[in-house]
Amino acid sequence: MEHDAKQPGTEHGIHLPAPTSSPFVCAFGVTLIFTGIVTIWSVSIIGFIVALAGAIRWWREGLPDNIHQLVPFQEDRVTIEPRPGAVAHLMIPGGTHRARIPVEIHPYGAGAIGGLVGGIAMAVIALIYGLIAEGSPWYTVNILAATVLPSLGQEDPAQLAQWHTWGFILGIIIHVSMSIMIGLLYGVVLPMIAKGRILFGAFFVPLLWSGLAWGSLRVVNPVLNDHVDWTWFIISQIVFGAICGFIVTRSERIGTMQNWSTLERLGIESPGVPSIGGDEE
Amino acid sequence: MTTLPQPGHADGQGAFRAPFLSRMHEWIATADHKKLGVMYVTTGLIFFLIGGLEATMMRWQLAVPGNTILSPEDFNRLFTMHGTTMVFLVGMPILLGVANYFVPLQIGARDLAFPRLNAFGFWLFLFGGLLLYFSYFGAQGLYGMGSAPDVGWFAYAPLTERTYSRGHSTDYWILGLLVSSFGSIATGINLITTILTMRCRGMTLMKMPLLVWLMLIDAILIMIAMPPLAAAQVMLLFDRLMGAHFFDPQGGGSAVLWQNLFWFFGHPEVYILILPAFAYVSEIIPVFCRKVIFGYPLMVAATVSIGFISLGVWVHHMFALGLSPMVNTIFMGSTFLIAIPTGIKMFNWVGTMFGGKIRFDTPMLFSTGFLAMFLIGGLTGVMLATVPFDWQVSDSYFVVGHFHYVLFGGLVFSIFAAIYYWFPKVTGKMLSEKLGKCQFWLLFIGFNLTFGPMHVSGMLGMPRRIYTYHADRGWELWNMLSSIGVLIQIAGVLFFAWNVFRSLRSGKDAGADPWDAWTLEWSTTSPPPEYNFEEEPVVHSRRPLWDLKHPEDPDWKYE
Amino acid sequence: MSATPTSPATTILSPPEAAPQAMDSGKCGMLCLICSEITFFGTLLAVYLFYLGKDLPGTPTPTEVLEVSAAPMKVVFNSIFLLTSSIWITLAVRALRKGAMGAFAFWWFLTILFGAEFLVGTGMEWYGMIAEQGLTIRTNLFGSGFYTVVGFHAAHVTIGLILLSLVFVLTLLGFMHKRHAEKIELLSWYWHFVDGIWIAVFTIVYIIGR
Repeated sequence: MEHDAKQPGTEHGIHLPAPTSSPFVCAFGVTLIFTGIVTIWSVSIIGFIVALAGAIRWWREGLPDNIHQLVPFQEDRVTIEPRPGAVAHLMIPGGTHRARIPVEIHPYGAGAIGGLVGGIAMAVIALIYGLIAEGSPWYTVNILAATVLPSLGQEDPAQLAQWHTWGFILGIIIHVSMSIMIGLLYGVVLPMIAKGRILFGAFFVPLLWSGLAWGSLRVVNPVLNDHVDWTWFIISQIVFGAICGFIVTRSERIGTMQNWSTLERLGIESPGVPSIGGDEE
Repeated sequence: MTTLPQPGHADGQGAFRAPFLSRMHEWIATADHKKLGVMYVTTGLIFFLIGGLEATMMRWQLAVPGNTILSPEDFNRLFTMHGTTMVFLVGMPILLGVANYFVPLQIGARDLAFPRLNAFGFWLFLFGGLLLYFSYFGAQGLYGMGSAPDVGWFAYAPLTERTYSRGHSTDYWILGLLVSSFGSIATGINLITTILTMRCRGMTLMKMPLLVWLMLIDAILIMIAMPPLAAAQVMLLFDRLMGAHFFDPQGGGSAVLWQNLFWFFGHPEVYILILPAFAYVSEIIPVFCRKVIFGYPLMVAATVSIGFISLGVWVHHMFALGLSPMVNTIFMGSTFLIAIPTGIKMFNWVGTMFGGKIRFDTPMLFSTGFLAMFLIGGLTGVMLATVPFDWQVSDSYFVVGHFHYVLFGGLVFSIFAAIYYWFPKVTGKMLSEKLGKCQFWLLFIGFNLTFGPMHVSGMLGMPRRIYTYHADRGWELWNMLSSIGVLIQIAGVLFFAWNVFRSLRSGKDAGADPWDAWTLEWSTTSPPPEYNFEEEPVVHSRRPLWDLKHPEDPDWKYE
Repeated sequence: MSATPTSPATTILSPPEAAPQAMDSGKCGMLCLICSEITFFGTLLAVYLFYLGKDLPGTPTPTEVLEVSAAPMKVVFNSIFLLTSSIWITLAVRALRKGAMGAFAFWWFLTILFGAEFLVGTGMEWYGMIAEQGLTIRTNLFGSGFYTVVGFHAAHVTIGLILLSLVFVLTLLGFMHKRHAEKIELLSWYWHFVDGIWIAVFTIVYIIGR
């Protein structure tokens, strides 16, 4: 009802709504009306009178036409200077300087393969540890399976060194799926690391993971915690990280679809649409 | 009403100071969106101090077991007033104030669509807040000893019925919030209208800055979610004053209905509070990373879907109520769903930072703090959305820890980021970077020390809202840590107050565009003239100032 | 991502985009107000529906009360008055657009008259219920819900009537002109909204709730 902020300007200034205390008075009256409900009824009466006075004044200012005041232009003005060449451009192979980075990533397949190979190397180390420590290759398999088979976790080392069919099946499933998933994460994360990828993949992540396992296993599964030799645990993690990271970083990089146009992503090929993986221009 | 001293206008009138009364009148009678914005934020910050003081007293009481500094009754009043204040009198005015100030500037308008209604909304909010606090003096009648509301900020029935809540304290809670929520609804409608009808030439919806987009969704949520609260409060008021039976189980009424009605408002309210936080960091992060925001269309889509989904998740506040497993499961699912758009936003902010040339000035520091803290709050939120987990920790300090990570670590950190970012525009003076960084680290450390341990004490079974506890529960260490953290936070807030005070007196001049930013508010003087822009701006892209600064490589070629 | 044709790096000109805002602020604001009012009434009506049939045994039920004192025909009669007033206000706005001030005043007055009749009808209905049937807001859930829902609607009618009367007085004093048609149309939107809400209230309270 008072949509008037869009006033045309003049040479000297601009018409803006004139200051008015009517809203203040009216709001105060409304509040008094409500205050009266919990104090004394006469407060509400006073509030009603105040609010009405405010509202009538407000109407008189707004009808038949809103009151305006002319605000003169102030003297200082802001001009925005063009600064050509003030910004250093990102150097991306292919010429364009506008792109969603990273422009190239490792294929997801490389991550999965890296995870699998790293997982095999890890398994070998675990088997060696099992043979050295308990004289049985099945020991570590059973420990791994014990994270989901509570009954297995209750058994003593001698029994853990025995062959358990379910332990073997579950251990393999857990190990393979975890290896592939962490390998995939390596594939996604490593291209985002600017410097020290080997350090990150081979040491930082394995140590972080070991620390997490060390901190949480004693709470989650205290019985199992007694069976884990942490030195060997860390060694096997580092071997996994190093091999997986190595395979991922050696894989051939491919461009992301992030910089393609929507039509390109939909796979539409026509003369009007730039070729797949084409530049923006 | 306190007012920030108006810094001198650049046209040479700065040296002249009008008499006090006429300066007061200038603020009271103003219909200028910038002055009202400043008043909103200032009022919000003052209430922030009051609410913080209430929290400090509670932490003091809880620092050691068996403490007797506060009586149980006082403690109830304190947590009720703390919650109500922080949500309705701190979060709401600050978000409305920032929107008031910067939405018109960012869309190239001269004012909101209804300037006088805007003033009306502000005064209603302020008087509503004062009415709520008047309860400390007037709740048992003007002449008796008064007391404040003590029913918790969500005021569960039937505790609020006449039988259980004697005197007028609950009525004050209802009426104070009613009055101030009328003001909020008015301003919300004003914002929607402004954004939809007053954009400058060339600013299509998809060229609006993200702050404007988020405030549009925010205002729509205010418009949809606050009237149901008003309706519920009116029904409660009828129960209390006229003997109706809406929430009175003895008369056949339903206490569960109140919970439904309250949380139908309450959960959108959480998003009403957090969307502005998203808005501020979405403006700040690109500027300090020197990159465009990553995935603008997705950010908009995520915002809209958060708005929609937030209207359909309220039952997750009531998992412990004993509703049917089917209802619980449905709302668990919808609550999980909201993590998706929120996650998209997180990744887009990180994607904006990735590969950027990051400048860790104070606004960026606070925004980064926001990202980390809000992530923790969001993750514990997903944990709490799981019904079995919620049954374990519902109404424990774990929940308190969770929502403080969201609202303090999320909202308050982003508000400080916004203040450090826009203070130069509002006052023409820079805030001190050194003091700002000290404030950030104090607040960051103090915040984590206070609210981190709450997760532990909650897991150990400490219920929220108890005024004291026995020494043999294993909660002492965690409570002590929480209370120590508060002291560090107080130091942080003092640094902030000193910083503002010093900058207003002798701060460095900011100039029009201290951060080399790209949205329209930086194309006018600091502080902006009353009419904002001499000529109505015309924009061609989401970063109009970039186009002007770099005409050889404008954005509109790529959008 | 739609790439504009390649232009030399130095061109600064932009495709001119004229985007005058299509929507009028007043209309948008009024629509928003109506939206928030709808959520308000929606809550009240949802509560009313929720409590249907949940009254304590032995207290008056909607069927008993509404059949007797508010004889159905009376309510229908009142409703027709309120709903037809929507037609008169539309005719009034149309007259104002043409500048026919006499016709405007006539239709406007008719709107007020019909609105007032509805209010009087509601008052008589309430009087019958309170005085003869002894149903008050305290009696039971039905009483609480009925008086709240119908009362809030009546309050909105009252506010509308006050605004309409103010405009009528201004018209008689000669302050109203053709150029105010936009503002007056907004007021008519509010009046239509009040009527629309009555359809919802009538359906739920007098048809479904019986």
